[in-house]
Amino acid sequence: MDIIETNVDTSIKEYKENFKNYEKLVIDLKKNISIAQQGGGEEKIKLHKSRDKMLVRERIDALLDPDTPFMEFNSLAAFGMYDDNAPCAGIVTGIGLIHGREVVIVANDATVTGGTYYPMTVKKHLRAQEIAMENNLPCIYLVDSGGAFLPMQDEVFPDREHFGRIFYNQAVMSARSIPQISAVMGSCTAGGAYVPAMSDETIIIKGTGTIFLGGPPLVKAATGEEVSAEDLGGADVHCKESGVSDHYAHNDMEAIHMTRNIVENLNRPEKTYLDITKPEEPAYNAKEIYGVIPKDSRKPFPVREIVARIVDGSKFHEFKTLYGVTIVCGFARIMGYPVGILANDGVLFSESALKGTHFIEICCQRKIPLVFLQNITGFMVGRKYEAGGIAKDGAKMVSAVANANVPKFTVIIAGSFGAGNYGMCGRAYGPRQLWMWPNARISVMGGEQAANVLLTVKKDQLWRKGKELTKEEEKAITEPILKKYEKEGNPYYSTARIWDDGIIDPVDTRMVLGLGISASLDAPIPEWRPGVFRM
Amino acid sequence: MFINYEHENHVYNVSIERRDKHYFITYDNTEYKVEAEENKPGQLKIKIGDRIIKSVITEGEKEKFVFVDGHVFKVKPVELTGIKKTEKKEEGDLFSPISGRVVSVKVKNGNTVKKGDILMVIEAMKMEYLIRAPFDGKVEKVNFKERDLIEIGQNTVELKKREA
Repeated sequence: MDIIETNVDTSIKEYKENFKNYEKLVIDLKKNISIAQQGGGEEKIKLHKSRDKMLVRERIDALLDPDTPFMEFNSLAAFGMYDDNAPCAGIVTGIGLIHGREVVIVANDATVTGGTYYPMTVKKHLRAQEIAMENNLPCIYLVDSGGAFLPMQDEVFPDREHFGRIFYNQAVMSARSIPQISAVMGSCTAGGAYVPAMSDETIIIKGTGTIFLGGPPLVKAATGEEVSAEDLGGADVHCKESGVSDHYAHNDMEAIHMTRNIVENLNRPEKTYLDITKPEEPAYNAKEIYGVIPKDSRKPFPVREIVARIVDGSKFHEFKTLYGVTIVCGFARIMGYPVGILANDGVLFSESALKGTHFIEICCQRKIPLVFLQNITGFMVGRKYEAGGIAKDGAKMVSAVANANVPKFTVIIAGSFGAGNYGMCGRAYGPRQLWMWPNARISVMGGEQAANVLLTVKKDQLWRKGKELTKEEEKAITEPILKKYEKEGNPYYSTARIWDDGIIDPVDTRMVLGLGISASLDAPIPEWRPGVFRM
Repeated sequence: MFINYEHENHVYNVSIERRDKHYFITYDNTEYKVEAEENKPGQLKIKIGDRIIKSVITEGEKEKFVFVDGHVFKVKPVELTGIKKTEKKEEGDLFSPISGRVVSVKVKNGNTVKKGDILMVIEAMKMEYLIRAPFDGKVEKVNFKERDLIEIGQNTVELKKREA
């Protein structure tokens, strides 16, 4: 394959300014993540440790194969929500390796409000199960939770995608032969009791682990019976009498060791075949991406420079280089895995959409995973383009993306607006993973456009009544909309609400995609069956 | 066939052709006629003209070690990858890349400009597109003013190239 030639000049002022600006975004990101990873704070951590319990991240660390990466999802979930009382949404999820095979881990952090489930905790738990289902990966629950966060019961209990869905998923996953293992490392109360009860194999720790539908206070209130937590649902009860648990551990480390032993005996099927080569670092320094992305998000940037800093050896076999030039398509390798890349290099026109559709079809037939590098302000608008049928060409691309049989991965590297988000495999199009860069922006349209649309609507209404708006009144309409879009388009707003799987440093993109593709290969790639394309 | 290999950071391109019991090796526009036989696996007897060379080759992980006359050469085969010639936009052009609105005009008729100077800023679909001077020259006519609508492909500025 041919190497992408770079035109980046690291000595010019613009590059240096961009770099400095971006470096700050990355520093802020790392700071925010490290704060969130501290969980419930010093006091809660001290209390947790005084009970001879390991912290959630220590548990995960001990569970995974030594010196292997843990790909964490949504480490900034609930960021800025619930008065910042739920860092990480009180639950740690991700993919890691045990005995050389990928597993999904769902682990409660009891230092965050006793590991109780806020709305975002539920969403994060469900998303982790979805990842396990899509990629056919075993799921390991390290349970340490008091159940639903009672003050917000209306947002965590009754609806379809609420608390009950966790156990529904467990049943459905089990029916699809996805192994599930629970280690009860703290409380496991009420509905939460179903997590271990519905797992294939369950471990409980003597002294700290408890499983019951109703805790001692509830029992006392209901029947008057007085009983200790350990006598009601401790390790002895469940391993020797009830059979709710299968393995008896004396402490966290033993429980983790037992979990590893269970995974060792899962007899996992072989991975899906891909033509894998030896990984090769890109020819150019990935950190130069910082200097390529303009400080001003309204300025376009050459996306091949980004591709060159993500793919193996910066080698890229480009498809239809001279046609529909606002989308760059081509084949490359990431960490040795073959991929088909679609990357925006401007607004989508009919030609770009057709080219994208054609390319997706090729990848689907060859069973090559797709990577979308999304920087899209939308499909081109205007009479000429509507008359040219941009709606049906856009529809072809959206249809191709939706029905693609191969694993899809999306990275929002700058803007994500309007229907462009759909064509480029936004969240609704089921990418196995969707990551954002810290400079990203996502909304249905730009704030300015939305403000102007709403202003025009208002003006028309008043005009019919024979009235007009003053400059001040106009400002009173547009200003709040601009502010709203600025706030809600921010990647932190998005990631807090789990519209993505996390914000990443551009330098890590290659590794994250590589791990994602590797994890996707536990699931078979079905035959390709496209829908009807409007011609 | 063509072989590319690397030795001490230099890539050698060699072509080898076999005719009867001779190999014809072309390197740097010179053709060498060579006879070679493998006595034992990895042990070669090579005849170039009157010279007879004995050589032992051992395989490393990626590279091969070639022992000749008491010297060791570390060589490794390389896959030749071309550098992709992206069409350099350096030259730039004066045509609008998109249909949109002119938000700023940076030059007037008669101005002299340097290559890379911004002549006009066009806004469309939430983005700003900069029209830069593709060469040093003199502005003969600015075709649009601020707030004007511009169509894709329309000429923004007529610029006369300065003769070197």
